[in-house]
Amino acid sequence: MSGPSIQALGLTRRFGPFTAVDQVTFEVSRGEIFGYLGANGAGKSTTIRMLTGLLAPTSGEARVAGFDVARDPEAVKSSIGYMSQKFSLYLDLPVSENLLFFGGAYGLWGKELRLRVDEILELTGLRALRAATTGSLPGGTRQRLALGCAILHRPGVVFLDEPTAGVDPVARRQFWRLIRDLAAEGTTVFVTTHYLDEAEYCRRIGLMADGRLVALDSPPALKRTWVPERVLVARGRNLAAAASALSGRPGVAAVEPFGAGLHLRVEPELWDAVSVHAALAAGGAAEVAVEEAEPSLEDVFLAVVGRPQPGAAPAEGRP
Amino acid sequence: MKGRLGHFLVRVGAIAAKEVLHIRRDPRTLYMALVMPVVMLLLFGFGVSFDMERIPLAVADRDGTGASRELVDAFVAPGEFALSHRSGPEEAHELFRRGRALALLVVPRDYQRDLARGAAVSLQLLVDGADPVTANQILAKADAIVRSVGQARALRAGLSGQLPLRVKVYTLYNPEARSAEYLVPGLAAYLMAIAAVLLTALTVAGEWERGSMEQLFASPVGRLDIILGKLLPYLGLGILQLLLVLGVGTAVFDVPIQGSPLMVFALGLLFLVGMLGQGLLISVVTRNQLVATQAGALSALLPSMLLSGMLFPIENMPLVLRALSYLIPARYLVHGLRGVMLKGNGLAVLWPDLLALALLAAAVLAAATGRFKRRLA
Repeated sequence: MSGPSIQALGLTRRFGPFTAVDQVTFEVSRGEIFGYLGANGAGKSTTIRMLTGLLAPTSGEARVAGFDVARDPEAVKSSIGYMSQKFSLYLDLPVSENLLFFGGAYGLWGKELRLRVDEILELTGLRALRAATTGSLPGGTRQRLALGCAILHRPGVVFLDEPTAGVDPVARRQFWRLIRDLAAEGTTVFVTTHYLDEAEYCRRIGLMADGRLVALDSPPALKRTWVPERVLVARGRNLAAAASALSGRPGVAAVEPFGAGLHLRVEPELWDAVSVHAALAAGGAAEVAVEEAEPSLEDVFLAVVGRPQPGAAPAEGRP
Repeated sequence: MKGRLGHFLVRVGAIAAKEVLHIRRDPRTLYMALVMPVVMLLLFGFGVSFDMERIPLAVADRDGTGASRELVDAFVAPGEFALSHRSGPEEAHELFRRGRALALLVVPRDYQRDLARGAAVSLQLLVDGADPVTANQILAKADAIVRSVGQARALRAGLSGQLPLRVKVYTLYNPEARSAEYLVPGLAAYLMAIAAVLLTALTVAGEWERGSMEQLFASPVGRLDIILGKLLPYLGLGILQLLLVLGVGTAVFDVPIQGSPLMVFALGLLFLVGMLGQGLLISVVTRNQLVATQAGALSALLPSMLLSGMLFPIENMPLVLRALSYLIPARYLVHGLRGVMLKGNGLAVLWPDLLALALLAAAVLAAATGRFKRRLA
C-alpha cells in the first residue's frame, strides 16, 4: 500500500446541534506513531470511531489503509486493529481464549491461529499467564492483552483509544515499548492519551479542542511554536511575595507555582535567568536559583487549550 | 480455509465456541437451561394435577335402606369420593365453608321403593362451586356413578326398558382423563419458551454492556455472524433441554409418544429456534440485560401460558385473542405435540404446525438481524 495510512479531509461529525468533530484534516504516514491529544469531550473518540468505520461521518471523508471509511467500512475493519477506550475483552475467559476468539473473529483458524496466538503471547509477555482468567489480571496486563487481540491479524494500522488510562507508570512504560516495537515493524499507530509525558513518544501530535484540530506537529516543533517564551524555573525561599512583584511586569507571560518553586514564561528579548534572578531577589526572595528549562507538552497543552480559538485560524497568526 | 464463506464460517465458529466457554463458566446458564425446566415440570406435573381423588363427600341418607347404602358405596368404594359426614342438607353451607366437604349427596326418602317401582328418582347433589374446576369434576364423576348404578339396578331387575337409555361417553386419547397427558406437552412448550428466550435475551445485551460489541463491530464480524454464533450453542443446549423435559414427561408422568419421536424432535427444534430468535431480538433492541430479562420473561411466559392452548382452549377465547394466538409459536408446538404424542399424528396432519413454526422462526431471526445496528450511533 502506498500513500499515507490515514487521511482525513474535513472530517465532521454532528450529533444533533452538537458538533463533536469539526472539519478535521490530517494525514498519518506508514509506521508513524500519531498522538491525538485533547481534554475529555474534545472529540478524540468520535474521530477514532469514524476512522474505524464504527460511526458514519456527517461530512468530509477519510481513507484508512487505502479504503474509504464511509463507502467501504468492511474493508477498513479487516485492515485495522482497534482497542476501544473501555476494556472490552471477556473477563470470564482465560487469556488464551480471548486471543483465540479475536483471531477467529478476523478469520484466523487452525494451525495458523494457534501459532499466531503463541507469537502474540510471546510479544506481549503473557506466555506465563495464558491460562489465567482475564478478570484476575491487573490493569496494565489487561491492556497488553487487549493490544495483543487488536494486532493478531497483523493490521497495517492500529487505533488505540486511551490505552493506558488508569495504568500504573511501570506498566505504561512497558505498554509504550510494545507500541514502539509495532511502529518499528511498519505498523501505523494512532493513539489517544491523557498523559502528556506519553505524547513525547509520538512522532507527531494532533491537539483537539472543542472538536477542532487546533495544532498538529512534532513535539519539539509544537513547543517552539506554542511556547515561544523562555521557560525558567526558580527555586529559593520566600518566593511567593517576590512572584507577585514580578507578575504583571512587561514581558512576563506567566508566573505559576511549580512544586516548591516557580515556573515562569518570559519574553526572551526582555528577560533571562540573570534578570529574573535579580528581580526575585529585589522582591525579597532569598537563596534564589534560576535556570532555563525545556518547555513541556503540558506548557503547549495549556497554551493551546487556554487560548480562545476564534474561527478556524489559530489566534495570533500561529499555525 | 479460504474465501468469503470460509471466513464467515470461521467467524461464526469462533463466536459459538466463545459462547460455549461462557456457558461452561457460568453454572447459572446451565441451571436455567437444564435444571429449572425439569424442576418446574415436576412441580407442575405433580402439583397442578386436575385429577381429584378422595373428594370429601357428605351424605344425607333419608332412606336408610339397602339400596341407598349401595348407592353411597358406589360413590365411596372406587376411592373417588370419601365419606366425610352424614348430615342433613341444611348443614351443607357449614360443611362447605369449613372445607369439611366439597359435595353433599341427598338420597330422598322412599328411594328404594321408588326405584323398585321403576318410578323416576331424583337425587340431589349439592356442590361447592367456589372452585369451578373441582366442581365440574365432581359433577362429571357423580353423573357417571349414578348412571352406572342405575344401569346395574335396571339390569338386575330386568327393567332395561324402564331407564331412559343415555349416550355413553367415551374419552378418547386420554381415556383416564389424566391431566399429565394434557399438561406435559403444554408444559414442555411453556418451559422451553421461558428458558430459551431468557438464555439469548442476555447474551447480546451483555456484549453491549461489556463494551465488547464495539470491539466486535470494529472487526469484520457481521450481524449474521453474531446472530448465528449466538444461536447455535444455545440451540444445542435447548435440544438437551427438550430431551430432558420429554424424558421426564414420559418416564415420570407416563405420557406416551404414540407418533414418531422424530416428529416430536422436529417440532421442538423449530420452536426452539423461534424462541431463541425472540430472545436475540429482545437483546438486540434493548441492549440492556435487565430490561431484556424482564421483556424476555414477559414475552415468553404470558403468551405461551395463556394463548398457547396449554391451559385454556383457544376455541373459547375472544376473537382478538384467538387471532393473536396465531402469532404465538407455542400454540403450534402445543397442538403439534399433543397430536404426535397422544394421537400419533404424522406429517400429513401436522405439516401446518411445522410450517407455522418455521415461518415464525425465520421471521423473528430476520427481524433480529435487521434491527441489529452495526454502527454505534
